[in-house]
Amino acid sequence: MDINFRDLYERRLDIVKEHKEKDNCPVIGTLCSYVPVEILHSFGIIPVRIWGQSENLHKADALLQPFICPPVRHLMALGLEGHYNFLDGIVHCYTCDATCGLFNIWTRNLKPGFSHLISLPYMTIDESLTYTMAEFNNFIEKLESFTGKKFSPDNLKRSITIHNEARSLMKEVYYLKKAGFPAGYSGISAMNICSQTLPLEIFLPELRKYVKKMKEDDRGSSGKLKILISGSVISDTSLMAFIEEAGGDIVADDACIGLRMLRDEISEGDPLQSLARYYLTRPPCASRSDFPSRKAHFLETLTDFDIDAVIFIHQKFCDPHLSDHPFMKKVIDETGIPNMQLEMEGDELTGRVQTRIESFFEMLERR
Amino acid sequence: MMEEKKTTKRLKANTALRQIITDFYADAHRAKAEGRPVGWIPPMNGLIELFYAMDIHPIFPENWAPICAAIGTNSNNFAYAQRRGYSSDLCGYFRNNIGYALDGIAEENQPLDGLPKPDFLISFGAGCIPTMKTFQVLCDHFNVPVFRADLPQVAMENIGEHHIKYGVTQIKRIIKFLEDLTGKRFDIDRLRQAVAYTDEACRLWDQIMDARRTIPSPFSAAEIGIMFVMVTRHGTKIAVDFLRDVLEEVRGKVERGEGVILNERIRLFWDNIPLWYNMKLFNYFEKWDAVVVAETYTSAWTMRMDTDKPLESIAYKSLVSYPLVSCVSLDKRIELIRKAVVDYKIDGAIFHSNRSCKPISMGQMDIMKMLSEELNIPGVMFDGDHMDGGSFSEAQFRTRIDAFMEMLMERKGNIY
Ligand code: SF4
Ligand code: SF4
Repeated sequence: MDINFRDLYERRLDIVKEHKEKDNCPVIGTLCSYVPVEILHSFGIIPVRIWGQSENLHKADALLQPFICPPVRHLMALGLEGHYNFLDGIVHCYTCDATCGLFNIWTRNLKPGFSHLISLPYMTIDESLTYTMAEFNNFIEKLESFTGKKFSPDNLKRSITIHNEARSLMKEVYYLKKAGFPAGYSGISAMNICSQTLPLEIFLPELRKYVKKMKEDDRGSSGKLKILISGSVISDTSLMAFIEEAGGDIVADDACIGLRMLRDEISEGDPLQSLARYYLTRPPCASRSDFPSRKAHFLETLTDFDIDAVIFIHQKFCDPHLSDHPFMKKVIDETGIPNMQLEMEGDELTGRVQTRIESFFEMLERR
Repeated sequence: MMEEKKTTKRLKANTALRQIITDFYADAHRAKAEGRPVGWIPPMNGLIELFYAMDIHPIFPENWAPICAAIGTNSNNFAYAQRRGYSSDLCGYFRNNIGYALDGIAEENQPLDGLPKPDFLISFGAGCIPTMKTFQVLCDHFNVPVFRADLPQVAMENIGEHHIKYGVTQIKRIIKFLEDLTGKRFDIDRLRQAVAYTDEACRLWDQIMDARRTIPSPFSAAEIGIMFVMVTRHGTKIAVDFLRDVLEEVRGKVERGEGVILNERIRLFWDNIPLWYNMKLFNYFEKWDAVVVAETYTSAWTMRMDTDKPLESIAYKSLVSYPLVSCVSLDKRIELIRKAVVDYKIDGAIFHSNRSCKPISMGQMDIMKMLSEELNIPGVMFDGDHMDGGSFSEAQFRTRIDAFMEMLMERKGNIY
């Protein structure tokens, strides 16, 4: 395959900067997959998920304690190193305490020209929908004064349409892989990150080509065990590759970026209301769920993808996922599907982690 | 070198406080025995006024945790939580409360007779992740009716009409649930009365705290336990009466010029939750004639309630309590501290970098920076944990604090 999201992933910041210069459009950083990027897009703003790992993690020490989760510390270090100086602003949607703190500390120290925190409700009753629309309208008002443009429902409709297209194609990629298309999960992960960090106008044409080629290519079956990985931010490609070498085929995920955002389409009708409904009813992240709602989606995914085993990949100090784990484990144990938990410290794939993965697969093969 | 001086002047109100604590739990057990419902709820929200207005006894697991830390059953509860698969990196309140509710509760001979099991649970969206998750675990564990409520986390400065309106919607839903549960009708006038008590309690609280602006300060952070009534007895006359007595005692000390220590020279600010298992730490500063006269934690009740709008008032209280002391409203929190440091004539600030509580610890470096850059007030940070003594080294604390205090002494020109 010649379309390689890995390459786009590596160049993503440069691409955005070029685009920004060429089109003279604002770029706004986001810290969470709950930010309604469709609204930003409808204003001609490029939303860019702030993402990555810093090589100078110690830079974060000046502002964050060592007991804050590694992903958040990495982002702070990247910010302090100036990697995101090209941003015109930052938007967050409250999920976990650590990112909320990061949002505030980032705003105080890096002083972006625009900053906004969206606070979503946790339920899906009618009143929550009304509330969410008010919250979105608030956000829209702030964007209007920031950009000097008026909000246009028609533009939002167009933005929704292309986001829907991208999401449904990405979902297809998962199902094609499940059906035997030989692609490593790190490629899928790169695709997912590109979808959040590149202008959609650049990402979508590539994605269309990619899916078309996938469909044309031969497929077989990897014959490997179908694995679901679950956790918050899972970005370590060497870990993904190691799981696949050890005998697993990662076909599904339950993570910050991935399938959870792809299950649903934003429906037709009043665009703001449809958008609100999408964000309230999409499969929830651990920070925004109660157990029953998380359980339902989890079980659905296990069946949908014929999962043989589950690997939880948890970041150290991650409150939402660590506190959900015993419950989630119970849910999976009841299905009889083997599962294991890896606690990452934000560093590379260590020997300890490798050994644990190897013995897990040895156990699976003996079954 | 100086000798360590002893504190002798604890507030007399402490005797009454001990009784209030005992009564709170005894009342809960009595309610249970008499068949009146006991509901477990997250702390610091407007539901407490609603509960008292409907004769329901509230239990706050989060408030039980400091008690466990003080009497030493916390390590036991941590061990239970660990056995259930909960990581030791999680908040100590969470680990203690899960460990206690799932296993510790079955133990015999517990202090204060332990907690009565819930007849129903209210699971909230508001608060930090560990609080939210505590209730999800409890809902999964206890086979009792659960009411799922919802409240978003909004930075205090952003709270607007639609937030309050949504809060009121939720409260109306809860009222319906409680009416069905108890078979009794909700009476808005009783809620109004409860809200009036809370308002009065907050007013008295502010006055008590204000008294510490006096030099010498009439009491120190070691008395922080009086906030028990602000958490568990809001909405009742018990809180108001108790706080009135405290105020009277404190004012008396102010009039007589009676400080908590003999020669107060240095005034300190404390950020983050105390180490509940080691409250003596606050007395450590006495050897430099220093007193902790203000804290971030105690500002959580700087609010007013409007008895004309009882539902809106408790919705507002529910919305602000957590953001005010955490990193949700960092700017607001910084503003509060800036003001306190000036008002209380603070010489230095102590930052407890609390491994257990991420939301309150995040932003502490920013606060420290602001104090030193804008107000020229030095600060020192030490590593600790509000619940787990295993994550705290007193030796390290002393080394840090000693150096800091020497520096403060020099700045004040107090050379011994
Ligand atoms: S979900 Fe977990 S890993 Fe992600 S930012 Fe929050 S605490 Fe960190
Ligand atoms: S606010 Fe802090 S101490 Fe309280 S439960 Fe949450 S994390 Fe724990």
